[in-house]
Amino acid sequence: MAGAAPFAPLHEAAFDNGVRLVVEEDHSAPVAIVQIWLKVGGRDETSGKTGLAHVFEHMMFKGSKKLAAGEFSRRIAAMGGNDNAFTSHDYTAYFEIVPAAKVDEVLGMEAERFGHLNLRAEDFAKEIQVIQEERRMRTDDDPNSRMFEELTSVALRLHPYREPVIGWMQDLKKLDIDDVRAFYKAHYIPGNVTVVVVGDVDFADIKKTVARTFGKLKKQPVEARFNPVEPEPIGPKRMVAVLPAQLPMLAVTMPVPVWKPGENDREAAALAVATEILAGGRSALLNREIVDKQRKAFAAAAGYDPFSMGIDMWFAYGMLGPKQTPEAFEAALWATIGTLRDKGPDATQLAAAKRRMVADQVFAQDSLYIRAKEIGMLETVGIGAGKRDAWLAALGSVRAEDVKGVLKQWIRQERSTTGLLQPEVKS
Amino acid sequence: MRNLMSVLTVLFLFAFTPAAQAMPPIEQARLDNGLRVLLMQSSNVPMVVMRLNLPAGSWQDPAGRGGSAAMLAAMLGDHTAKHDYVAWADKLDAAAIRLGGGASYDSLSMTLTVLKEALAEGVDTFAEAGLQPGWDAKRFAVLQSDAVAGAQKSLEEPGVRAAEETAATMYPKHGYGHRPDGDLASLKRIELKDLQSMYRKQFRPEGAVLAVSGDVTMDELLALIRPAFAGWKGKPAVSFTDIPEPVAVRGEQRQVVMPTRQMTVQMARLGLSRFDKAFFADMLLDHILGGGGFASRLMNEVREQRGLVYGVYSYFMPLAVPGPFVISLQTRADQAGKALDVVREVMRKMHDGDIGKQELAAAKANLTGSFAHRLDSNAKRVGLMSMIGFYGLPLDYLQNWEARINAVTLAEVKHEAARFLDAEDWNVIQVGPEVAGSGD
Repeated sequence: MAGAAPFAPLHEAAFDNGVRLVVEEDHSAPVAIVQIWLKVGGRDETSGKTGLAHVFEHMMFKGSKKLAAGEFSRRIAAMGGNDNAFTSHDYTAYFEIVPAAKVDEVLGMEAERFGHLNLRAEDFAKEIQVIQEERRMRTDDDPNSRMFEELTSVALRLHPYREPVIGWMQDLKKLDIDDVRAFYKAHYIPGNVTVVVVGDVDFADIKKTVARTFGKLKKQPVEARFNPVEPEPIGPKRMVAVLPAQLPMLAVTMPVPVWKPGENDREAAALAVATEILAGGRSALLNREIVDKQRKAFAAAAGYDPFSMGIDMWFAYGMLGPKQTPEAFEAALWATIGTLRDKGPDATQLAAAKRRMVADQVFAQDSLYIRAKEIGMLETVGIGAGKRDAWLAALGSVRAEDVKGVLKQWIRQERSTTGLLQPEVKS
Repeated sequence: MRNLMSVLTVLFLFAFTPAAQAMPPIEQARLDNGLRVLLMQSSNVPMVVMRLNLPAGSWQDPAGRGGSAAMLAAMLGDHTAKHDYVAWADKLDAAAIRLGGGASYDSLSMTLTVLKEALAEGVDTFAEAGLQPGWDAKRFAVLQSDAVAGAQKSLEEPGVRAAEETAATMYPKHGYGHRPDGDLASLKRIELKDLQSMYRKQFRPEGAVLAVSGDVTMDELLALIRPAFAGWKGKPAVSFTDIPEPVAVRGEQRQVVMPTRQMTVQMARLGLSRFDKAFFADMLLDHILGGGGFASRLMNEVREQRGLVYGVYSYFMPLAVPGPFVISLQTRADQAGKALDVVREVMRKMHDGDIGKQELAAAKANLTGSFAHRLDSNAKRVGLMSMIGFYGLPLDYLQNWEARINAVTLAEVKHEAARFLDAEDWNVIQVGPEVAGSGD
């Protein structure tokens, strides 16, 4: 049983300069989250300038006409708030969690830095060092993420998901302040902005505030985003990453369709349900078959994001213990996927997966941050937050035949790239 | 979900009153067997979260068998006497019941997250997991072997290495001397009977706390809990008050060699207990030092002014007895000495009394202003209530929280700075390459 949709009503507004506003009121605590979403991310970088969208995100904290470097965060802290930002291939977002009474002030500060950023060379010189440390910490010194970065890069030919959002270190060392300024001019325009507010606020008030702040920015033409069609794989690929790891990991990935509302609802939903049956909950097949029964890995997982732009890189991986081999895990992985593809889920499996996926949406409503993030993300990738109910309906419509169908069409070894993290052997 | 609007209308009246007043009170009940039940009602999402906290933390892991309490929590969640692991997983998954568990230094916990519509079944499964353990030896072997492999894999993480070394350095003969997860060697030594023994002694209703937050009333809750936990009896053999005071270890220097580009640096010393009289002054001290994110001195000096790190922060872990006070950062290995010098200079200044009135006011404003955010989800409320209940803090703790922060004086914060921030007292644990400069 699917249950009722758990979402509170959305209030939306659009302004003449292209800025959009989405508000979800929740008066259960005197708190609100403000998120400023930009239709810019790693995919909008040019060759040799990887990491620039994320570098830019850092520079947003380095001062504007009215606020000195660091002043933005200090003011947010002083009002009892927290602020930060995040960048993906598809979007960049800035957020503040503040007492609800401060939302107007925060929107004013956000619009001010958005329109009047300093971008000084001396601030950039320090910040690029910080970002190189971030890359060392997140990627270079973490064998698993290093392997996944390489795997995605090997798997794709054209699509910008092949470049890491954090940027290659070689590019990070060459970027300069002029790159940052050009990026600002090209992408930080009102037509790329969606303001999201969730919490103890009144939509009518927020609409007035946004009209007075972001709504006043000068309209500029918006260009279509880079979204090339990835060529269909012509055969399986393999790669090995030899790194100072303790234990091996084997992962597979391949491009699969994302959700295009009204075009492929059941296909995308079936991919999500199939992935849930393989990797969600306690009864996850990969875990039950490969970890618990066959003992070919000590952990296994898979993932699919139906809300990316253009394609998603579906993945599955296994963590291998000292006596477990990559070959045996790989065989077990494809055998488990193959069994589900040939036999399909039984009625209980299918119903349980759907119920968990709806429950996950209910549980997600417990966090203002996750609610705002989901709204902003759906708006920014072009699906629209108003489609959340349609997605739940699509999940509800998935039949066993659909699960079999999408596995047969998309999750195939000959379409995949396989990566092995192989622990370095010291001589 | 459709009655949401009427609920919102009622709550809206409270929206402009200060957070402490708007906050629903903690309701309390005690079952005949001694189990304490704490509840905060919240009806804006049709779900319920509950956590059972018991005095079976990792401090009680048998010597050399670190990770026993964590393994006990894993076994209790995995299967029961009535359901093998496959039937159990299918049962929970069919009703979207999330059941989790784990061990921290002082306590073992089991957590249930469930839709309101599945609450009755959720409570039954929760009680079955806790009160009817299956002790399947084959499953124990599987979980143990996976935990051992996981522990080996985690040695790839500099943060895990640093945490292991820090615990061992600071608490050489104490139950806090290992991570609650255990390590590669200790996990291998654990036997099923270690878990059974800990369960028999410590898994008792007296001294245990069930914290609940969500769309349920106390009457509805008790009507489910009373029958589900009927027959559970007794008092644990030891409680958190039996945890011995640790002996301070000062000024130790340790290095763990790993082939990384960065050096992970942890400075650590004994901090304070949950019952320390200066607890709120130390919260403010830590906030100013490195707990307050971008507003903190460490972040400003080490990252913003010098670009040496992505992250640098401090925290103290208030446990039944003094837990660790930690300062942590990662920087390119050849810069570790420089970063440490900057940290020591920040500590010295604060230790010597260089803390401003404005700075304290800003820290208070941030902590009190963000208090409502500490309570804005069922998961967070359950976490706080578990802590309050487990350590026996007063039930008006949350109501008084902002007043306690505001009452702290500058002199008190300076006193705590002098008490804690003498860099000579801190141990330094570094994880990274023997010789810096492996290149990018």
